[in-house]
Amino acid sequence: MLRGVELEIRPGEAVGVAGPNGSGKTTLIRTAATLLTIDHGSVEVLGSDLVPEELPTVRRSIGLIGHQPSLLPELTLFENLEHVARLSGVETSRVGHALDVVGLADASDRRAEACSFGMKRRVEIAHLLITKPLLLLLDEAASGLDDSARMLIDALVGSVRSRGGGCLVVSHDRSQLTDLTTRVLALSGGRLETVP
Amino acid sequence: MTRVRVLMSLAAVAVGIGLWFALTAPPDALQGGYSRLLGIHPPSMWVAFIAFGVTALGSVMWLVKKTDRWDRLASASVEVGVIFTAIGLFTGMVWGQAVWGTPWDWQDPRLMSTAVMFFVYLGYIALRNAIDDPVVRARRSAILGTIAVVQVPLVYFSVNLFRTLHQTQSIRPDGSTMPDEMLLAMFVNMGAFMVLYAALMVARIEVAKSEAAAASESTLAGEAVRPPRLSEVEDV
Amino acid sequence: MTFWRQAIEIARVDLVVERRIGNTLRITLPFAVVALMVFPIALGLRLGVVSTIGTGVFWALAILFGMQVALRQSATDTRERRDLQSLLGLDPAARFVGRVISGVVLMIGFMLTLLVGMVVLFDPEVPSGGWPVLVVATMAVAIGLTELATLAGEVTTGLSNRTVLASLIVAPLALPLVIGASQSVEALERDAGILPWILLLIATDLALAVAGVALARPLEEATR
Repeated sequence: MLRGVELEIRPGEAVGVAGPNGSGKTTLIRTAATLLTIDHGSVEVLGSDLVPEELPTVRRSIGLIGHQPSLLPELTLFENLEHVARLSGVETSRVGHALDVVGLADASDRRAEACSFGMKRRVEIAHLLITKPLLLLLDEAASGLDDSARMLIDALVGSVRSRGGGCLVVSHDRSQLTDLTTRVLALSGGRLETVP
Repeated sequence: MTRVRVLMSLAAVAVGIGLWFALTAPPDALQGGYSRLLGIHPPSMWVAFIAFGVTALGSVMWLVKKTDRWDRLASASVEVGVIFTAIGLFTGMVWGQAVWGTPWDWQDPRLMSTAVMFFVYLGYIALRNAIDDPVVRARRSAILGTIAVVQVPLVYFSVNLFRTLHQTQSIRPDGSTMPDEMLLAMFVNMGAFMVLYAALMVARIEVAKSEAAAASESTLAGEAVRPPRLSEVEDV
Repeated sequence: MTFWRQAIEIARVDLVVERRIGNTLRITLPFAVVALMVFPIALGLRLGVVSTIGTGVFWALAILFGMQVALRQSATDTRERRDLQSLLGLDPAARFVGRVISGVVLMIGFMLTLLVGMVVLFDPEVPSGGWPVLVVATMAVAIGLTELATLAGEVTTGLSNRTVLASLIVAPLALPLVIGASQSVEALERDAGILPWILLLIATDLALAVAGVALARPLEEATR
């Protein structure tokens, strides 16, 4: 349960939230992603009060990389990205290029179940490069990634910020957040506090 | 691939010759033209029995030697054996409908034991498909392949052990119960089906080798992942 | 992407996955045929009885094993997957319809194959004019069972014991389908009208379709 959380992400800003396991980081991310509703207070995302009619439009402008990859194990990396591109209404002709940019061109016909965690993460990054969200939400996204994949995360955050979008990055590792974000908050006891 | 083509061509010729013998053999006085199924049904089951025996051999040898070729031999033989068992069951049901008035007799041990054998080996194939790791897959299917072969003599001798609608062995130590032309047709087709079995086995083993080679090519860690092109991130 | 395009895309991917895993064809179907063989053995091979119960055994196994065919997707439905689909703007009703489409394709293939197996093994007593009714009833049960199992999968998504729990939900709710299907053939034996039973099947299928579409969004919100 989170209580008394006040958070504003301004355009062009990347806010980091650090907290130990079980502190509510994922709950915070999923609330910001409009996937969870709150009991008290208000949530405004991309200028919307999240009334039902506006929800689909708002959600399409949100990009989320969650704790675990969301790929279908039996599809190849290419097919996974093609599937989400189709559902996003994005041209599937961009899929090959996106996989190439993230360094997976040679692995694009490999099934997701045969790929490492880091490779699956890259596919998720490729998806967000295609859809160009205005609000980027990263939940322990850099955990378990090699240096080049982390640079991709950096590049993704930079890309969103340069478009005037905002980023919320949560992690248990404060050092990751310091490099990636413009300010860091601490989540503790269900509350957000500024880190000196 | 040339070897496969040659064997397939030989098999096509052999099966063609076998079919000719079967179709030109005189019909049985009671069964009529259905007796010509003698050219398909017994040879199919004969080859299936041999196939599962080869599987057992391959399985035991893999457990001893732990080399891939024995696993390929065992698994290819099961796949081909299942196909021949299915042909045997199907032609048997057609023959049974014509001669016994029913395609299936619950009380016939030969039918029941053959059907059980068929499903056990289907389970073998399903087991292999469910396992990605080649060593684990080989080990588990080798154990199953070694145990499952017990069914083969049970199926073969079931017509002797139990009372059954099914015909008993046509060839016995004291001679044959069939006319010579039918016997000849059956033997020629047994030979033809063995050639077909060999051809299918070689083809399947070649495919398995290619699959293994492709899998080993892509398992070199890190090869398929390149550094990202960070300067092109905005261009996606 | 329009509603129907989303539904078709969900169905397409689902069938691609099933083609690769092959659970329905390689495992569930052979298992169901083996189960068909268990019944006569368990009944002591009394052939007269076997012939009489053939269609009944078929419906029972079609429901019990068909559930597993229809529930296969819920096993791979992770929270991250569903979150992604929500953010992509996938209409939950389109997901339901898409899954029903792919499920019905597999279910019809499964049930018709099981029907052929039952006919060969049981030599059932089917009244005159019964075969077309049996086939129509099979298709209707396939559709209804898929809708029911897809709904149950949505209700139990994310739970650790979802497959068993979903089966427990589906089995009793499938009774109208079993009744409609079995009675439609028996009505022919009694020279009674089959229309009420066929209408029961159609009504059940329609009701489940409407329920699935109407409840899709509330279920998605409730299972986050």
